[in-house]
Formats: sequence, structure tokens, C-alpha cells
Amino acid sequence: MEQRLANIWRMSVNEKKFIENALLSDHRVDGRRPFDYRRLSLKFGSDDGTAEVQLGQTHVMGFVTAQLVQPYRDRPNEGTFSIFTEFSPMADPSFEPGRPGEAAVELGRIIDRGLRESRAVDMESLCVLAGKLVWAIRVDLHILDNGGNLVDAANIAAVAALLTFRRPECSLGGEDTQSVIIHQPEVIDPTYKEEIIMGGRMTVTMNTNEDVCAIQKPGGQGVKQSEIMRCLRLASQKATDITDKIKKAVEAYDLERAQRKIRRHSSSSAQAACGADIKMSKQVVDVTQKKIDGFKIQSKDPMNQEEVESDTDLENSNTRGENNSFQQVDEIHGKMKSVNLFTGRPSSWHPYGKGITSLSTCTSSVALSAPRAMEAEKKDTVALERPNESKLEKPSVEATVDDSHTKEMSASVQQVNQKKSLKDAVKVKSRKKKKVASTMVGE
Amino acid sequence: MTDESSSHPNTLVDHWVAPGDVVLDLTNMANQTLKLGGGLRQECDAIIVTKAGRFKFSKPNKYWVESSQKRYVPCVEDTVLGIVVDSKADNFLVDIKGPTLGFLPVLAFEGGTRRNVPKFEIGTVLYLRVVKANTGMNPELSCTDATGKASEFGPIKDGYMFESSTGLARLLLSRPTCPVLDALGKKLSFEIAVGLNGRVWVNASSPSTVILVANAIMSAEFLSGAQQRILVEKLLQRVQ
Repeated sequence: MEQRLANIWRMSVNEKKFIENALLSDHRVDGRRPFDYRRLSLKFGSDDGTAEVQLGQTHVMGFVTAQLVQPYRDRPNEGTFSIFTEFSPMADPSFEPGRPGEAAVELGRIIDRGLRESRAVDMESLCVLAGKLVWAIRVDLHILDNGGNLVDAANIAAVAALLTFRRPECSLGGEDTQSVIIHQPEVIDPTYKEEIIMGGRMTVTMNTNEDVCAIQKPGGQGVKQSEIMRCLRLASQKATDITDKIKKAVEAYDLERAQRKIRRHSSSSAQAACGADIKMSKQVVDVTQKKIDGFKIQSKDPMNQEEVESDTDLENSNTRGENNSFQQVDEIHGKMKSVNLFTGRPSSWHPYGKGITSLSTCTSSVALSAPRAMEAEKKDTVALERPNESKLEKPSVEATVDDSHTKEMSASVQQVNQKKSLKDAVKVKSRKKKKVASTMVGE
Repeated sequence: MTDESSSHPNTLVDHWVAPGDVVLDLTNMANQTLKLGGGLRQECDAIIVTKAGRFKFSKPNKYWVESSQKRYVPCVEDTVLGIVVDSKADNFLVDIKGPTLGFLPVLAFEGGTRRNVPKFEIGTVLYLRVVKANTGMNPELSCTDATGKASEFGPIKDGYMFESSTGLARLLLSRPTCPVLDALGKKLSFEIAVGLNGRVWVNASSPSTVILVANAIMSAEFLSGAQQRILVEKLLQRVQ
């Protein structure tokens, strides 16, 4: 009993009086103004659908997982969505392991209602087989440190995790919602100490369209009507602010995710080369997988195997339709420059010089550029020895080949290459050259 | 490091050490008495570190390891800030951020008798001295100094108290005065009480001053002297 007494955190009488007096003159203990949020930092984990939110001292992690289950009888073509909160004892001495306390249940309810009412998750898209199999999305929120305002931090974590979660076939996303907690003399985003002394709290969940999705006011002091309206206005402001922050963080994460995949493959190939540029200039940002396949197969070299493997991976990443940044382009750009030195090639490849500049101006997906780069590089090296070979421009007929066939294709293509004579090679090259020319012109 | 500072033969003084490091070899130091402070243990002929931190030495023969933690381990003769948790017949139960509650005997006040037992409500802040501190037992506290005089011990009124690490508390109590307190003191008037258990109490005439001082102190733990002065300047500018 006494040990428990020792472990409880207490607030002294002096602190309580001081914080109350200071709040009367609009001074908050950490120097914030009454309607300022603490600094929000959003980090993502290595898996999709994991987010870590730090709001000042408060630290919450959100995990999203999906499982195939049978749907409810009365909703055969909708998936299910559930929130689980875990109040870890390391967050606060008053959190006990085991059954969730009142605060934990309330937190879970607020977030669940907010996300459900705002239709943040599209239930129908979770359906796999109507009446038989649907995805059950489960959001786990772990409270790691309680520094006050758990509801907001947990909500941000849930939304961010959902935004970065990828169902195996397609991505998940939706409107963003934000809860605002206000207490008298009315401040936003209370710290741990402010929460202890507050007399009442109100939580408003809004989405970016300024619709109120949910309001929660669990007892406590009464609030005047005018104050409620003020809180709603404030909530919509903060909701847009925080939604922006979340979106930026998620975008940065998506870029980084794509970069990670590209870098891995770029490093496996020796150097990037210019041939890719020509292809790239043709590409619109959202290139389809089929086109990529076609281009890949076109340039097969004796040292094909690595290429093929890495290409398939890149394809996979490309299917997600990720946008890539100039950074990646510049990286390949740099590599390509170095390769360009080796161009002792037939004139058909001269456009490489142009190709490089086009690279810097177009934001085509890096997934594309990397395979191009690798292929072109191989082409370059081979070209040094035998300028006739390896310009295996397969017509776009082969564009429809999918991953499983690439290796076989590459083998057959190689043979075909070797059988081809110089004339054939030249012909094919010229065809490509025309294509290239047209694209260059088209730019 | 080959050059010894302060002409001391031991190379690890003022360095960061980790548990398990052997810092002194007693075979080289015959006929010497050493005083070992916290964080050090003797094993046969070697002195081994048991706590991570900075290895310190003070003439003529005192060695100890200094580290900063949020936890406080009660030590005799430490001055701490405690919060009253409960009052019993014989003593008050006071929370001093240690593993157990401390006992403050009801008579441990200047001129304290059974007739004038002070009444503290739960949550009162007290400035206390640790009289006995043994592992496993509740530490005994007192509101008088060793001679029996009050000398600033006892309940503290108003102001604002916050918690931080033991390292910060030692920094605030060091001589010469820590730069952040120096810089703040030049421009503002305030009073502070520092407990070696990591609690600091601040009071001033206006709440904004108190908030400013509290935030400046909290951020100053790991800053160098110059950085601390710059921090204080910036905070003061913002207020004005």
C-alpha cells in the first residue's frame, strides 16, 4: 500500500494555485498562448501503417493491420474497422496493466466515433468477396508517454497510420479528422499538469470540410453556448493546420519509401546510363506497368539476370503509383553523366546528351529511370566492344509480357539478338532513333 | 590521454565511465586511504564502476561517479523538496521522489513539542534535510539542521515547483553560480529553492516572471555557459 503511495505522482498545492492564477491572466506554464498547440513531430516506421506521434512530451504510436474475415450478416460488402488502445504503465504511474480503465475506453470511443462518422475509411473498398471475405482493419494505439492531450495525439497517430497503410492490392486513405480539446479558462492541447487541474473538457472532431463529425463532453463544468461556437471555429482552424502537417509528413514518407526501393536497386547496378532518358522523356508521370516491361525487355545483355530481378521489384513499387522527386532524378542524372564519358557509340545514341537535360526537367517516376539506366549502361559497355549488338529494340508487342515471363523472354531475346546481323541491328536502331527523335522534338 | 590534469596519475578522472570499468588499481597505491563515493565499488585490488557517469576526484583522496537521473536515491545530509502525502500520529509521510516515502517525525521542527505539532495539508511543499537513508528502509527527514535550528527548512508557500533531473539540481547548486541563474538574476528578481532530488521551486512577483525563470532553468541543463546566457537573453527579449 505504501509502495503504491510512493509511486503516485502528486501535484503540490502551490503548483495547483499557481497554474490556475497564471491561466487567469492567460499565462501557460510552458510559455504557450492559450490556443497554441505544442510542436508536433510525426515519424513513420519501416512497415506500412505505423506512425509515431510526439506532441510535446506526449508520445503515441499507431499500428494498422488488416486481416481477412467474414463480414457482418447485415453488411455483406463492407469491411470492418476497430480501434484498440493500450495504456502502457510506462506512460503514467496511474496506468495499470490489464483491463483498460475508464480513460482508455473513452479515448478509444472518441477516436472510433471520429473516424467512423467522418467516413475516413471507405468500408466498401475493403470488400474482397461479397458475403464471404472482407478486410478487417485493426488500429492499435499504444500510449508510450502521457504528457497531456492523449486524445489529439492518438487521433493523429491513427490517421497518419491509416494514411500510410497499404492493403495488399491498393492504398487506403480518406478525409482527415482532428480532435480539439479545450478546457477552462479555455486552452487547447493541455499538458499533463493542466489536465490534472482542469474542471471540464470538450472534444470536437472535425474534418477538413468543416463538418463536425463528433463532439464529446464527459461531465465537468458547464460551457456557454457562445463558448461552444468559439470552440467549433477554433477546431476547424486547428483541424486544417494539423491535417496539413499530417499530409506533408505522409508525402515525405511516401517519397522516402520510394527512394529506399530505388536506391537499393541503383546501387546493385553498376552505373546509370543515358538510354533511360530517352524512354523517360516519353513517360508521363503515371506510367503503366506494361510499358515498363516492354522497355525492360528491349535491352537485354549477357549480364541480364540482376537487371531482371531488380526490374521486377521496381515494377512492384511502381504499381503503387508513387511520385518521385527531383532528388532521385538528380542522383541518376549524376550517375548518367559519368557513364556518358564512355559513349563511343554510333550516332543513334547521341541524343543521350539531350536526354540528360530532359531528365532534369521531367518528373517521371524513378522506377522507370533506374531500369532504363541499368539497361542503357549495359548497352554502353557492350557497345564499346561490339557496337552492333545489344540494341535490341523489341517492338511494343512485347510490352504485354509480365514479370513471370521476363526471364524466359530475356533468354530468348538474347538468342535472337545474337542471331541478328548487323543490318538488323541497324534497322532496329534507326526505328528507335526515329522514336527518340520524335520524343525529343515533342518535348 | 597521456597528459594528466591536476597532476593526477589516474587517466580516467573527468572522463565518462560505464559500469564494469576498472578505474583504480590498488596494487600501485600502497598505504593510501581512499574515500569512495557513489557509483564505485571495491573488488579485491581494483575499484570498479557501478553507475554510468563522469568519474570525479577531489583532493586529497575522494573519488566518485557523477550522473544525472530522474530518479533520486536518498543520501544522508541531502537537502530535498518533499510533498506531504499523509500525516500519521508520529510522523508525516513525505514524497521525496525516492523509491519509498520518507518519514518526517512530528517533532523534527525547531522548538517542536507534542503541544505545537504543525498541521500540513496534503500537497504542501516542504524543504527538508535527509537524516537517515539506508537501502530498503524509509528515509528519515527533518525540518531542522544538525544543530536543531530551523534555518530555512519547513513549509514553502506559493510559487511554482517543477521536477527535473538530479544533474540539473546539482548544476544549480554549484559554485561558482551557474550561468543561467547569473544571467536571470541580473535582470529579474525571483527566489528559488533547489532540492537535490531534482525538484526546483521558483517564486517571483508576477506569474510571467516565474514561468520565464522555470522554462529557462529547465532548458539549461545540457547547455554550455555561453549557450545558457544566449538562451536567457532571447527569452528576455521575447517578453519585452
